[in-house]
Amino acid sequence: MQRLSADAPPNNQSGVSSEIVGFTPRTIDWNAVRVFAEKNLRIAMRYPANILVWAFLPLMWFAPYVLMMVAIGGGSSVHFTEISGFEDFIAFAVIGWFVYTYVDTTIWSIGQNFRWEQFSGTLEPLFVAPVPRTSILIGAAISDTVSTSISALIMLGTSCIIFGVGYAVTAIVPIILVLMMMVVALFGFGFMIAGLIIVFKDPSVLTELIDNVVFALSPVSYPIQVLPRAAQVAAYALPATIAIMTIRELAIGGAAEVVSFLSTIGALGLLIVAFWVLGLLCFRYAERWTKKRGSMGGF
Amino acid sequence: MTQSSFNQELQKREGFRSELCAAQAIAVRIWRVELSYPLSVLWFIAMPFVWLIPMLLTGNAVSGGPESVNLETLTGTSDWVSYVAIGTAVLGLTMSLMWGTANAFRREQNAGTLETLMTTPIKKGTLIWGALLHNIQHGGLGVVLQLVGSMLLFGVSLNIWGILPALAIIALMVIGMQGIVLTLVCVVLLAKQGWMVIEFLASGLTLLAPMAYPLAVFPPIIQYIATASPLTWSVDAFRNFLIFGLAGPAANQAVAALLILDTIYLLIGMVLFKRTEKYVRSKGALTQF
Repeated sequence: MQRLSADAPPNNQSGVSSEIVGFTPRTIDWNAVRVFAEKNLRIAMRYPANILVWAFLPLMWFAPYVLMMVAIGGGSSVHFTEISGFEDFIAFAVIGWFVYTYVDTTIWSIGQNFRWEQFSGTLEPLFVAPVPRTSILIGAAISDTVSTSISALIMLGTSCIIFGVGYAVTAIVPIILVLMMMVVALFGFGFMIAGLIIVFKDPSVLTELIDNVVFALSPVSYPIQVLPRAAQVAAYALPATIAIMTIRELAIGGAAEVVSFLSTIGALGLLIVAFWVLGLLCFRYAERWTKKRGSMGGF
Repeated sequence: MTQSSFNQELQKREGFRSELCAAQAIAVRIWRVELSYPLSVLWFIAMPFVWLIPMLLTGNAVSGGPESVNLETLTGTSDWVSYVAIGTAVLGLTMSLMWGTANAFRREQNAGTLETLMTTPIKKGTLIWGALLHNIQHGGLGVVLQLVGSMLLFGVSLNIWGILPALAIIALMVIGMQGIVLTLVCVVLLAKQGWMVIEFLASGLTLLAPMAYPLAVFPPIIQYIATASPLTWSVDAFRNFLIFGLAGPAANQAVAALLILDTIYLLIGMVLFKRTEKYVRSKGALTQF
Protein backbone atom coordinates (compact mmCIF):
# COMPACT_ATOMS: atom_id res chain seq x y z
CA MET A 1 0.00 0.00 0.00
CA GLN A 2 1.19 3.54 -0.65
CA ARG A 3 1.89 5.26 2.63
CA LEU A 4 -0.51 8.06 3.51
CA SER A 5 0.90 11.07 5.26
CA ALA A 6 -1.39 12.94 7.65
CA ASP A 7 0.30 16.26 6.95
CA ALA A 8 0.40 15.85 3.15
CA PRO A 9 -0.87 19.07 1.56
CA PRO A 10 -4.13 18.88 -0.35
CA ASN A 11 -3.54 19.35 -4.05
CA ASN A 12 -7.01 20.22 -5.22
CA GLN A 13 -9.96 22.29 -4.20
CA SER A 14 -11.84 19.49 -2.45
CA GLY A 15 -8.95 19.03 -0.04
CA VAL A 16 -8.21 15.43 -1.05
CA SER A 17 -4.52 14.58 -0.88
CA SER A 18 -2.70 13.35 -3.97
CA GLU A 19 -1.92 10.08 -2.19
CA ILE A 20 -5.60 9.25 -1.80
CA VAL A 21 -6.43 10.30 -5.36
CA GLY A 22 -3.63 8.16 -6.72
CA PHE A 23 -4.22 5.30 -4.31
CA THR A 24 -4.39 1.83 -5.80
CA PRO A 25 -5.13 -0.93 -3.28
CA ARG A 26 -3.12 -4.13 -3.17
CA THR A 27 -4.71 -7.52 -2.66
CA ILE A 28 -3.22 -7.83 0.82
CA ASP A 29 -1.63 -5.06 2.84
CA TRP A 30 0.57 -6.74 5.46
CA ASN A 31 1.08 -3.52 7.38
CA ALA A 32 -2.69 -3.22 7.81
CA VAL A 33 -2.83 -6.92 8.78
CA ARG A 34 -0.35 -6.24 11.57
CA VAL A 35 -2.22 -3.15 12.76
CA PHE A 36 -5.58 -4.96 12.88
CA ALA A 37 -4.08 -7.98 14.62
CA GLU A 38 -2.41 -5.74 17.20
CA LYS A 39 -5.60 -3.75 17.77
CA ASN A 40 -7.70 -6.89 18.30
CA LEU A 41 -5.09 -8.47 20.57
CA ARG A 42 -4.86 -5.29 22.62
CA ILE A 43 -8.63 -5.42 23.15
CA ALA A 44 -8.49 -9.18 23.92
CA MET A 45 -5.74 -8.69 26.51
CA ARG A 46 -7.85 -6.03 28.24
CA TYR A 47 -10.23 -8.85 29.19
CA PRO A 48 -7.98 -11.69 30.42
CA ALA A 49 -11.03 -13.31 32.06
CA ASN A 50 -12.42 -13.97 28.58
CA ILE A 51 -9.36 -16.02 27.66
CA LEU A 52 -9.77 -18.07 30.84
CA VAL A 53 -13.49 -18.52 30.21
CA TRP A 54 -12.77 -19.88 26.75
CA ALA A 55 -10.17 -22.22 28.24
CA PHE A 56 -12.61 -23.81 30.67
CA LEU A 57 -15.94 -23.68 28.85
CA PRO A 58 -14.93 -26.16 26.09
CA LEU A 59 -13.77 -28.46 28.87
CA MET A 60 -17.31 -28.52 30.23
CA TRP A 61 -18.66 -29.22 26.75
CA PHE A 62 -16.42 -32.15 25.93
CA ALA A 63 -16.27 -33.71 29.42
CA PRO A 64 -19.74 -35.31 28.88
CA TYR A 65 -18.35 -37.16 25.84
CA VAL A 66 -15.41 -38.52 27.83
CA LEU A 67 -17.64 -39.47 30.77
CA MET A 68 -20.07 -41.22 28.44
CA MET A 69 -17.19 -43.16 26.85
CA VAL A 70 -16.07 -44.25 30.31
CA ALA A 71 -19.62 -45.28 31.27
CA ILE A 72 -20.13 -47.32 28.10
CA GLY A 73 -16.67 -48.72 27.55
CA GLY A 74 -15.29 -48.93 31.08
CA GLY A 75 -11.53 -48.57 31.15
CA SER A 76 -10.88 -49.71 27.59
CA SER A 77 -12.66 -50.85 24.44
CA VAL A 78 -11.49 -53.58 22.09
CA HIS A 79 -13.82 -52.31 19.36
CA PHE A 80 -12.47 -48.78 19.66
CA THR A 81 -8.88 -50.02 19.41
CA GLU A 82 -9.76 -52.13 16.35
CA ILE A 83 -11.32 -49.30 14.37
CA SER A 84 -9.13 -46.41 15.51
CA GLY A 85 -5.77 -48.04 16.23
CA PHE A 86 -5.61 -46.28 19.60
CA GLU A 87 -6.05 -47.96 22.98
CA ASP A 88 -6.74 -44.96 25.19
CA PHE A 89 -9.99 -43.38 24.01
CA ILE A 90 -9.71 -40.54 26.52
CA ALA A 91 -6.32 -39.43 25.15
CA PHE A 92 -7.86 -39.83 21.68
CA ALA A 93 -10.78 -37.50 22.49
CA VAL A 94 -8.84 -34.85 24.43
CA ILE A 95 -6.39 -34.11 21.60
CA GLY A 96 -9.31 -34.07 19.16
CA TRP A 97 -11.04 -31.39 21.22
CA PHE A 98 -7.83 -29.40 21.49
CA VAL A 99 -7.56 -29.18 17.69
CA TYR A 100 -11.28 -28.59 17.29
CA THR A 101 -11.02 -25.45 19.45
CA TYR A 102 -9.37 -23.77 16.46
CA VAL A 103 -12.22 -24.83 14.17
CA ASP A 104 -14.71 -23.41 16.65
CA THR A 105 -12.82 -20.11 16.65
CA THR A 106 -12.89 -19.95 12.87
CA ILE A 107 -16.63 -20.46 12.84
CA TRP A 108 -17.57 -18.23 15.77
CA SER A 109 -14.86 -15.55 15.98
CA ILE A 110 -13.17 -14.73 12.68
CA GLY A 111 -16.36 -14.29 10.73
CA GLN A 112 -18.03 -12.40 13.59
CA ASN A 113 -15.36 -9.68 13.65
CA PHE A 114 -17.31 -7.49 11.25
CA ARG A 115 -20.37 -7.91 13.45
CA TRP A 116 -18.43 -6.62 16.45
CA GLU A 117 -17.11 -3.69 14.41
CA GLN A 118 -20.73 -3.00 13.49
CA PHE A 119 -21.78 -3.02 17.15
CA SER A 120 -18.86 -0.70 17.96
CA GLY A 121 -20.00 1.65 15.21
CA THR A 122 -16.66 1.29 13.38
CA LEU A 123 -17.66 -0.93 10.47
CA GLU A 124 -18.49 1.82 7.98
CA PRO A 125 -15.33 3.88 8.77
CA LEU A 126 -13.33 0.65 8.34
CA PHE A 127 -14.92 -0.03 4.99
CA VAL A 128 -14.12 3.43 3.65
CA ALA A 129 -10.50 3.19 4.85
CA PRO A 130 -8.05 2.67 1.96
CA VAL A 131 -7.09 -0.87 3.00
CA PRO A 132 -8.16 -4.14 1.41
CA ARG A 133 -10.91 -5.96 3.34
CA THR A 134 -8.78 -9.09 3.12
CA SER A 135 -6.20 -7.43 5.36
CA ILE A 136 -8.85 -6.71 7.98
CA LEU A 137 -9.99 -10.34 7.87
CA ILE A 138 -6.47 -11.76 8.04
CA GLY A 139 -5.56 -9.41 10.89
CA ALA A 140 -8.64 -10.52 12.82
CA ALA A 141 -7.90 -14.17 12.03
CA ILE A 142 -4.32 -13.88 13.34
CA SER A 143 -5.36 -12.19 16.59
CA ASP A 144 -8.14 -14.75 17.15
CA THR A 145 -5.67 -17.58 16.53
CA VAL A 146 -3.24 -16.17 19.10
CA SER A 147 -5.88 -15.79 21.82
CA THR A 148 -7.37 -19.20 20.95
CA SER A 149 -3.93 -20.80 21.25
CA ILE A 150 -3.60 -19.49 24.81
CA SER A 151 -7.07 -20.79 25.74
CA ALA A 152 -6.55 -24.11 23.95
CA LEU A 153 -3.21 -24.75 25.66
CA ILE A 154 -4.71 -24.02 29.09
CA MET A 155 -7.58 -26.37 28.23
CA LEU A 156 -5.19 -29.10 27.09
CA GLY A 157 -3.07 -28.79 30.24
CA THR A 158 -6.13 -28.87 32.50
CA SER A 159 -7.58 -31.86 30.63
CA CYS A 160 -4.31 -33.76 30.98
CA ILE A 161 -4.45 -33.24 34.75
CA ILE A 162 -8.17 -34.02 35.16
CA PHE A 163 -8.31 -37.06 32.88
CA GLY A 164 -4.79 -38.27 33.57
CA VAL A 165 -3.63 -38.36 29.96
CA GLY A 166 -0.25 -37.49 28.51
CA TYR A 167 1.16 -36.84 25.04
CA ALA A 168 4.55 -37.23 23.38
CA VAL A 169 6.35 -33.96 22.78
CA THR A 170 9.00 -35.51 20.53
CA ALA A 171 7.02 -34.59 17.42
CA ILE A 172 6.12 -31.07 18.52
CA VAL A 173 7.56 -29.41 15.38
CA PRO A 174 5.49 -31.42 12.88
CA ILE A 175 2.44 -30.98 15.14
CA ILE A 176 2.85 -27.20 15.06
CA LEU A 177 3.37 -27.32 11.28
CA VAL A 178 0.17 -29.32 10.68
CA LEU A 179 -1.77 -27.15 13.15
CA MET A 180 -0.60 -23.97 11.43
CA MET A 181 -1.50 -25.29 7.99
CA MET A 182 -4.95 -26.27 9.24
CA VAL A 183 -5.46 -22.84 10.81
CA VAL A 184 -4.41 -21.10 7.57
CA ALA A 185 -6.82 -23.27 5.56
CA LEU A 186 -9.55 -22.51 8.08
CA PHE A 187 -8.99 -18.78 7.58
CA GLY A 188 -10.57 -19.32 4.16
CA PHE A 189 -13.54 -20.95 5.87
CA GLY A 190 -13.72 -17.93 8.20
CA PHE A 191 -13.83 -15.59 5.17
CA MET A 192 -16.87 -17.49 3.89
CA ILE A 193 -18.61 -17.07 7.23
CA ALA A 194 -17.66 -13.38 7.32
CA GLY A 195 -19.44 -13.05 3.96
CA LEU A 196 -22.53 -14.73 5.40
CA ILE A 197 -22.45 -12.37 8.37
CA ILE A 198 -22.31 -9.16 6.35
CA VAL A 199 -25.28 -10.43 4.31
CA PHE A 200 -27.43 -11.92 7.10
CA LYS A 201 -26.09 -9.63 9.89
CA ASP A 202 -26.79 -11.99 12.78
CA PRO A 203 -26.86 -15.51 11.44
CA SER A 204 -26.36 -17.07 14.89
CA VAL A 205 -28.66 -19.95 13.98
CA LEU A 206 -26.82 -20.58 10.71
CA THR A 207 -23.45 -20.42 12.48
CA GLU A 208 -24.72 -22.84 15.11
CA LEU A 209 -25.90 -25.20 12.40
CA ILE A 210 -22.57 -25.02 10.51
CA ASP A 211 -20.63 -25.56 13.74
CA ASN A 212 -22.64 -28.62 14.70
CA VAL A 213 -22.45 -30.19 11.24
CA VAL A 214 -18.68 -29.60 11.04
CA PHE A 215 -18.33 -31.06 14.54
CA ALA A 216 -20.32 -34.16 13.62
CA LEU A 217 -18.15 -34.69 10.52
CA SER A 218 -14.83 -34.12 12.29
CA PRO A 219 -13.25 -37.12 14.03
CA VAL A 220 -13.04 -35.33 17.38
CA SER A 221 -14.21 -37.97 19.84
CA TYR A 222 -14.68 -40.88 17.44
CA PRO A 223 -12.66 -42.26 14.53
CA ILE A 224 -13.83 -41.35 11.05
CA GLN A 225 -14.62 -45.03 10.35
CA VAL A 226 -17.86 -44.81 12.35
CA LEU A 227 -19.31 -42.28 9.90
CA PRO A 228 -21.36 -43.45 6.90
CA ARG A 229 -19.37 -43.58 3.64
CA ALA A 230 -20.83 -40.34 2.17
CA ALA A 231 -20.16 -38.48 5.41
CA GLN A 232 -16.56 -39.74 5.38
CA VAL A 233 -16.06 -38.23 1.91
CA ALA A 234 -17.48 -34.89 3.11
CA ALA A 235 -15.31 -35.07 6.23
CA TYR A 236 -12.12 -35.36 4.17
CA ALA A 237 -12.98 -32.08 2.44
CA LEU A 238 -12.53 -30.32 5.79
CA PRO A 239 -8.98 -29.34 6.79
CA ALA A 240 -9.79 -30.25 10.39
CA THR A 241 -10.28 -33.94 9.60
CA ILE A 242 -6.83 -34.56 8.13
CA ALA A 243 -5.18 -32.32 10.72
CA ILE A 244 -6.88 -33.96 13.71
CA MET A 245 -5.95 -37.44 12.46
CA THR A 246 -2.29 -36.54 11.87
CA ILE A 247 -1.83 -34.49 15.03
CA ARG A 248 -3.42 -37.31 17.05
CA GLU A 249 -1.01 -39.83 15.56
CA LEU A 250 1.96 -37.57 16.28
CA ALA A 251 0.85 -36.61 19.79
CA ILE A 252 -0.10 -40.08 20.99
CA GLY A 253 2.38 -42.22 19.06
CA GLY A 254 5.19 -39.67 19.03
CA ALA A 255 5.87 -40.31 15.32
CA ALA A 256 4.16 -40.75 11.96
CA GLU A 257 5.09 -42.46 8.69
CA VAL A 258 6.99 -40.11 6.40
CA VAL A 259 4.80 -40.84 3.35
CA SER A 260 1.61 -40.38 5.36
CA PHE A 261 2.92 -37.13 6.88
CA LEU A 262 3.98 -35.73 3.52
CA SER A 263 0.65 -36.58 1.95
CA THR A 264 -1.05 -34.74 4.85
CA ILE A 265 1.08 -31.68 4.16
CA GLY A 266 0.24 -31.90 0.43
CA ALA A 267 -3.48 -32.31 1.11
CA LEU A 268 -3.51 -29.40 3.55
CA GLY A 269 -1.64 -27.27 0.99
CA LEU A 270 -4.34 -28.01 -1.58
CA LEU A 271 -7.09 -27.27 0.95
CA ILE A 272 -5.44 -23.94 1.82
CA VAL A 273 -5.58 -22.87 -1.84
CA ALA A 274 -9.14 -24.18 -2.30
CA PHE A 275 -10.54 -22.63 0.89
CA TRP A 276 -8.84 -19.26 0.36
CA VAL A 277 -10.04 -18.96 -3.23
CA LEU A 278 -13.56 -20.02 -2.28
CA GLY A 279 -13.57 -17.91 0.90
CA LEU A 280 -12.37 -14.73 -0.79
CA LEU A 281 -14.77 -15.18 -3.70
CA CYS A 282 -17.67 -15.68 -1.31
CA PHE A 283 -16.65 -12.69 0.78
CA ARG A 284 -16.24 -10.36 -2.21
CA TYR A 285 -19.56 -11.43 -3.65
CA ALA A 286 -21.25 -10.86 -0.26
CA GLU A 287 -19.59 -7.46 0.07
CA ARG A 288 -20.75 -6.34 -3.40
CA TRP A 289 -24.25 -7.71 -2.74
CA THR A 290 -24.52 -5.81 0.56
CA LYS A 291 -23.11 -2.56 -0.84
CA LYS A 292 -25.56 -2.63 -3.76
CA ARG A 293 -28.45 -2.81 -1.31
CA GLY A 294 -26.94 -0.17 0.94
CA SER A 295 -27.28 -2.39 3.99
CA MET A 296 -23.65 -2.51 5.09
CA GLY A 297 -24.19 -0.73 8.41
CA GLY A 298 -27.71 -2.08 9.00
CA PHE A 299 -28.46 -4.34 11.95
CA MET B 1 -64.67 2.45 24.60
CA THR B 2 -63.62 5.95 25.68
CA GLN B 3 -60.14 6.71 27.00
CA SER B 4 -61.31 7.15 30.59
CA SER B 5 -63.36 3.94 30.66
CA PHE B 6 -60.40 2.10 29.07
CA ASN B 7 -58.16 3.42 31.86
CA GLN B 8 -60.73 2.33 34.44
CA GLU B 9 -60.75 -1.15 32.92
CA LEU B 10 -56.96 -1.21 33.18
CA GLN B 11 -57.09 -0.18 36.82
CA LYS B 12 -59.56 -2.97 37.59
CA ARG B 13 -57.36 -5.58 35.87
CA GLU B 14 -56.06 -7.97 38.49
CA GLY B 15 -55.95 -11.63 39.47
CA PHE B 16 -54.17 -14.80 38.39
CA ARG B 17 -56.22 -15.21 35.22
CA SER B 18 -55.26 -11.78 33.92
CA GLU B 19 -51.58 -12.48 34.53
CA LEU B 20 -51.91 -15.87 32.85
CA CYS B 21 -53.48 -14.20 29.78
CA ALA B 22 -50.64 -11.69 29.68
CA ALA B 23 -48.04 -14.46 30.05
CA GLN B 24 -49.70 -16.42 27.23
CA ALA B 25 -49.72 -13.29 25.03
CA ILE B 26 -45.97 -12.87 25.66
CA ALA B 27 -45.36 -16.55 24.85
CA VAL B 28 -47.35 -16.29 21.60
CA ARG B 29 -45.47 -13.15 20.59
CA ILE B 30 -42.08 -14.88 21.10
CA TRP B 31 -43.34 -17.81 18.97
CA ARG B 32 -44.37 -15.37 16.22
CA VAL B 33 -40.94 -13.75 16.23
CA GLU B 34 -39.18 -17.14 16.14
CA LEU B 35 -41.37 -18.56 13.40
CA SER B 36 -40.79 -15.56 11.18
CA TYR B 37 -37.16 -16.70 10.72
CA PRO B 38 -37.10 -19.87 8.58
CA LEU B 39 -33.57 -20.70 9.74
CA SER B 40 -34.74 -20.67 13.36
CA VAL B 41 -37.45 -23.17 12.47
CA LEU B 42 -34.88 -25.37 10.71
CA TRP B 43 -32.56 -25.17 13.71
CA PHE B 44 -35.42 -25.99 16.08
CA ILE B 45 -36.12 -29.20 14.14
CA ALA B 46 -32.48 -30.15 13.58
CA MET B 47 -31.13 -29.20 17.02
CA PRO B 48 -32.10 -32.33 18.98
CA PHE B 49 -30.47 -34.53 16.34
CA VAL B 50 -27.29 -32.56 15.68
CA TRP B 51 -26.63 -32.72 19.42
CA LEU B 52 -27.55 -36.37 19.75
CA ILE B 53 -25.84 -37.84 16.67
CA PRO B 54 -22.20 -37.10 17.73
CA MET B 55 -22.99 -38.69 21.11
CA LEU B 56 -24.40 -41.79 19.45
CA LEU B 57 -21.40 -42.00 17.10
CA THR B 58 -19.05 -41.70 20.07
CA GLY B 59 -20.93 -44.37 22.00
CA ASN B 60 -20.96 -46.63 18.97
CA ALA B 61 -17.20 -46.27 18.52
CA VAL B 62 -16.66 -47.41 22.10
CA SER B 63 -19.32 -50.11 22.40
CA GLY B 64 -19.32 -51.54 18.86
CA GLY B 65 -23.03 -52.40 19.22
CA PRO B 66 -26.27 -51.46 20.97
CA GLU B 67 -25.32 -53.11 24.29
CA SER B 68 -22.83 -52.15 26.96
CA VAL B 69 -21.87 -54.51 29.76
CA ASN B 70 -20.24 -51.75 31.73
CA LEU B 71 -23.33 -49.55 31.60
CA GLU B 72 -25.47 -52.49 32.75
CA THR B 73 -23.24 -52.91 35.79
CA LEU B 74 -23.58 -49.22 36.62
CA THR B 75 -27.26 -48.59 35.84
CA GLY B 76 -29.11 -51.87 35.34
CA THR B 77 -29.69 -51.34 31.62
CA SER B 78 -27.34 -52.43 28.85
CA ASP B 79 -29.21 -50.48 26.13
CA TRP B 80 -26.91 -47.47 25.98
CA VAL B 81 -28.66 -45.95 22.93
CA SER B 82 -31.97 -45.60 24.84
CA TYR B 83 -30.09 -44.48 27.93
CA VAL B 84 -28.34 -41.64 26.08
CA ALA B 85 -31.22 -40.68 23.75
CA ILE B 86 -33.76 -40.40 26.60
CA GLY B 87 -31.33 -38.76 29.01
CA THR B 88 -30.24 -36.08 26.55
CA ALA B 89 -33.83 -35.37 25.43
CA VAL B 90 -34.19 -32.86 28.27
CA LEU B 91 -31.03 -31.00 27.23
CA GLY B 92 -32.87 -28.72 24.79
CA LEU B 93 -35.55 -27.96 27.38
CA THR B 94 -32.89 -27.12 29.97
CA MET B 95 -31.10 -24.78 27.56
CA SER B 96 -34.39 -23.10 26.57
CA LEU B 97 -35.26 -22.52 30.23
CA MET B 98 -31.82 -21.24 31.19
CA TRP B 99 -31.10 -19.02 28.19
CA GLY B 100 -34.56 -18.00 26.98
CA THR B 101 -36.05 -17.18 30.36
CA ALA B 102 -32.97 -15.67 31.99
CA ASN B 103 -32.52 -13.34 29.04
CA ALA B 104 -36.20 -12.30 28.86
CA PHE B 105 -35.46 -8.79 30.16
CA ARG B 106 -32.35 -8.42 28.05
CA ARG B 107 -34.19 -9.44 24.88
CA GLU B 108 -36.90 -6.84 25.47
CA GLN B 109 -34.21 -4.29 26.28
CA ASN B 110 -32.39 -4.98 23.02
CA ALA B 111 -35.66 -4.73 21.11
CA GLY B 112 -36.42 -1.40 22.82
CA THR B 113 -39.67 -2.72 24.30
CA LEU B 114 -38.69 -3.18 27.95
CA GLU B 115 -39.79 0.24 29.16
CA THR B 116 -43.11 -0.04 27.32
CA LEU B 117 -43.72 -3.47 28.83
CA MET B 118 -42.82 -2.26 32.30
CA THR B 119 -45.40 0.50 32.09
CA THR B 120 -48.21 -1.91 31.16
CA PRO B 121 -50.46 -2.99 34.04
CA ILE B 122 -48.93 -6.48 34.36
CA LYS B 123 -46.97 -7.74 37.33
CA LYS B 124 -43.22 -7.43 36.78
CA GLY B 125 -42.72 -11.17 37.11
CA THR B 126 -45.27 -11.87 34.36
CA LEU B 127 -42.68 -11.03 31.73
CA ILE B 128 -40.52 -13.83 33.12
CA TRP B 129 -43.46 -16.23 33.43
CA GLY B 130 -44.45 -15.47 29.82
CA ALA B 131 -40.94 -16.27 28.62
CA LEU B 132 -41.03 -19.41 30.78
CA LEU B 133 -44.32 -20.47 29.23
CA HIS B 134 -42.85 -20.06 25.76
CA ASN B 135 -39.69 -21.96 26.69
CA ILE B 136 -41.67 -24.82 28.20
CA GLN B 137 -43.62 -25.10 24.93
CA HIS B 138 -40.48 -24.69 22.79
CA GLY B 139 -38.28 -27.01 24.86
CA GLY B 140 -41.13 -29.46 25.45
CA LEU B 141 -41.69 -29.82 21.71
CA GLY B 142 -37.95 -30.44 21.37
CA VAL B 143 -38.18 -33.26 23.94
CA VAL B 144 -41.07 -34.85 22.04
CA LEU B 145 -39.23 -34.42 18.72
CA GLN B 146 -36.07 -36.07 20.03
CA LEU B 147 -37.92 -38.96 21.64
CA VAL B 148 -40.08 -39.65 18.57
CA GLY B 149 -37.05 -39.27 16.26
CA SER B 150 -35.02 -41.61 18.47
CA MET B 151 -37.80 -44.20 18.35
CA LEU B 152 -38.08 -44.01 14.57
CA LEU B 153 -34.41 -43.64 13.65
CA PHE B 154 -32.45 -45.38 16.40
CA GLY B 155 -34.90 -48.02 17.62
CA VAL B 156 -35.34 -46.54 21.08
CA SER B 157 -38.33 -48.05 22.89
CA LEU B 158 -40.29 -46.26 25.60
CA ASN B 159 -42.34 -47.80 28.39
CA ILE B 160 -45.82 -46.31 27.91
CA TRP B 161 -46.68 -46.72 31.62
CA GLY B 162 -43.85 -44.35 32.43
CA ILE B 163 -44.96 -41.50 30.16
CA LEU B 164 -47.31 -39.76 32.62
CA PRO B 165 -44.95 -40.02 35.61
CA ALA B 166 -42.13 -38.78 33.34
CA LEU B 167 -44.24 -35.73 32.46
CA ALA B 168 -44.83 -35.10 36.16
CA ILE B 169 -41.06 -35.23 36.68
CA ILE B 170 -40.62 -32.66 33.90
CA ALA B 171 -43.11 -30.39 35.69
CA LEU B 172 -41.13 -30.72 38.93
CA MET B 173 -37.92 -30.06 37.01
CA VAL B 174 -39.34 -26.86 35.47
CA ILE B 175 -40.33 -25.56 38.93
CA GLY B 176 -36.88 -26.19 40.39
CA MET B 177 -35.11 -24.79 37.34
CA GLN B 178 -37.32 -21.70 37.47
CA GLY B 179 -35.86 -20.94 40.90
CA ILE B 180 -32.36 -21.10 39.41
CA VAL B 181 -33.45 -19.09 36.38
CA LEU B 182 -34.90 -16.33 38.59
CA THR B 183 -31.48 -16.04 40.20
CA LEU B 184 -29.97 -15.75 36.71
CA VAL B 185 -32.48 -13.02 35.84
CA CYS B 186 -31.09 -11.10 38.81
CA VAL B 187 -27.57 -11.47 37.37
CA VAL B 188 -28.79 -10.19 34.00
CA LEU B 189 -30.60 -7.27 35.64
CA LEU B 190 -27.51 -6.28 37.61
CA ALA B 191 -24.73 -7.09 35.16
CA LYS B 192 -26.78 -6.56 31.96
CA GLN B 193 -24.53 -8.96 30.01
CA GLY B 194 -24.91 -12.05 32.14
CA TRP B 195 -24.08 -14.54 29.38
CA MET B 196 -20.90 -15.73 31.06
CA VAL B 197 -22.70 -16.67 34.27
CA ILE B 198 -25.56 -18.30 32.35
CA GLU B 199 -23.14 -20.25 30.15
CA PHE B 200 -21.09 -21.53 33.11
CA LEU B 201 -24.16 -22.43 35.15
CA ALA B 202 -25.96 -24.10 32.23
CA SER B 203 -22.83 -26.04 31.22
CA GLY B 204 -22.09 -26.96 34.84
CA LEU B 205 -25.61 -28.21 35.55
CA THR B 206 -25.76 -30.25 32.33
CA LEU B 207 -22.32 -31.70 33.09
CA LEU B 208 -23.43 -32.78 36.57
CA ALA B 209 -26.78 -34.12 35.34
CA PRO B 210 -26.51 -37.78 34.38
CA MET B 211 -27.78 -37.27 30.82
CA ALA B 212 -25.44 -39.62 28.97
CA TYR B 213 -23.73 -41.33 31.90
CA PRO B 214 -24.59 -42.32 35.46
CA LEU B 215 -23.37 -40.31 38.44
CA ALA B 216 -21.18 -43.28 39.36
CA VAL B 217 -18.53 -42.13 36.84
CA PHE B 218 -17.84 -39.05 38.98
CA PRO B 219 -15.62 -38.95 42.06
CA PRO B 220 -17.72 -39.16 45.30
CA ILE B 221 -17.40 -35.45 46.13
CA ILE B 222 -18.84 -34.44 42.74
CA GLN B 223 -21.64 -36.99 43.16
CA TYR B 224 -22.67 -35.24 46.38
CA ILE B 225 -22.55 -31.82 44.74
CA ALA B 226 -24.64 -33.12 41.81
CA THR B 227 -27.46 -34.18 44.13
CA ALA B 228 -28.04 -30.50 45.01
CA SER B 229 -29.23 -29.87 41.46
CA PRO B 230 -32.89 -30.50 40.55
CA LEU B 231 -31.71 -31.35 37.03
CA THR B 232 -29.75 -34.35 38.32
CA TRP B 233 -32.78 -35.93 39.99
CA SER B 234 -35.10 -35.00 37.12
CA VAL B 235 -32.97 -36.52 34.36
CA ASP B 236 -32.47 -39.74 36.27
CA ALA B 237 -36.14 -40.14 37.23
CA PHE B 238 -37.40 -39.10 33.76
CA ARG B 239 -35.23 -41.73 32.08
CA ASN B 240 -36.00 -44.42 34.65
CA PHE B 241 -39.74 -43.95 34.15
CA LEU B 242 -39.42 -44.09 30.36
CA ILE B 243 -37.18 -47.18 30.40
CA PHE B 244 -38.49 -49.20 33.36
CA GLY B 245 -42.03 -47.78 33.67
CA LEU B 246 -43.58 -47.55 37.13
CA ALA B 247 -41.09 -50.11 38.43
CA GLY B 248 -38.24 -47.62 37.97
CA PRO B 249 -35.61 -47.57 40.71
CA ALA B 250 -35.76 -44.97 43.51
CA ALA B 251 -38.76 -43.10 42.02
CA ASN B 252 -40.13 -42.03 45.42
CA GLN B 253 -36.74 -40.79 46.52
CA ALA B 254 -36.40 -38.70 43.33
CA VAL B 255 -39.88 -37.16 43.76
CA ALA B 256 -39.22 -36.32 47.42
CA ALA B 257 -35.83 -34.80 46.60
CA LEU B 258 -37.35 -32.74 43.80
CA LEU B 259 -40.15 -31.44 46.02
CA ILE B 260 -37.63 -30.29 48.64
CA LEU B 261 -35.20 -28.78 46.09
CA ASP B 262 -38.03 -27.05 44.18
CA THR B 263 -39.29 -25.39 47.35
CA ILE B 264 -35.82 -24.18 48.32
CA TYR B 265 -34.77 -22.94 44.87
CA LEU B 266 -38.07 -21.30 44.04
CA LEU B 267 -38.23 -19.45 47.34
CA ILE B 268 -34.65 -18.21 47.02
CA GLY B 269 -35.20 -17.24 43.37
CA MET B 270 -38.42 -15.31 44.06
CA VAL B 271 -36.99 -13.41 47.02
CA LEU B 272 -33.84 -12.53 45.07
CA PHE B 273 -35.82 -11.44 42.02
CA LYS B 274 -38.14 -9.22 44.06
CA ARG B 275 -35.24 -7.54 45.84
CA THR B 276 -33.09 -7.15 42.73
CA GLU B 277 -35.92 -5.70 40.66
CA LYS B 278 -36.64 -3.20 43.46
CA TYR B 279 -32.96 -2.31 43.75
CA VAL B 280 -32.47 -1.85 40.00
CA ARG B 281 -35.58 0.34 39.81
CA SER B 282 -34.41 2.46 42.75
CA LYS B 283 -31.13 3.02 40.91
CA GLY B 284 -32.99 3.83 37.69
CA ALA B 285 -30.87 1.24 35.92
CA LEU B 286 -33.58 -1.03 34.56
CA THR B 287 -33.19 -0.04 30.93
CA GLN B 288 -29.49 0.76 30.93
CA PHE B 289 -27.31 -1.23 28.58
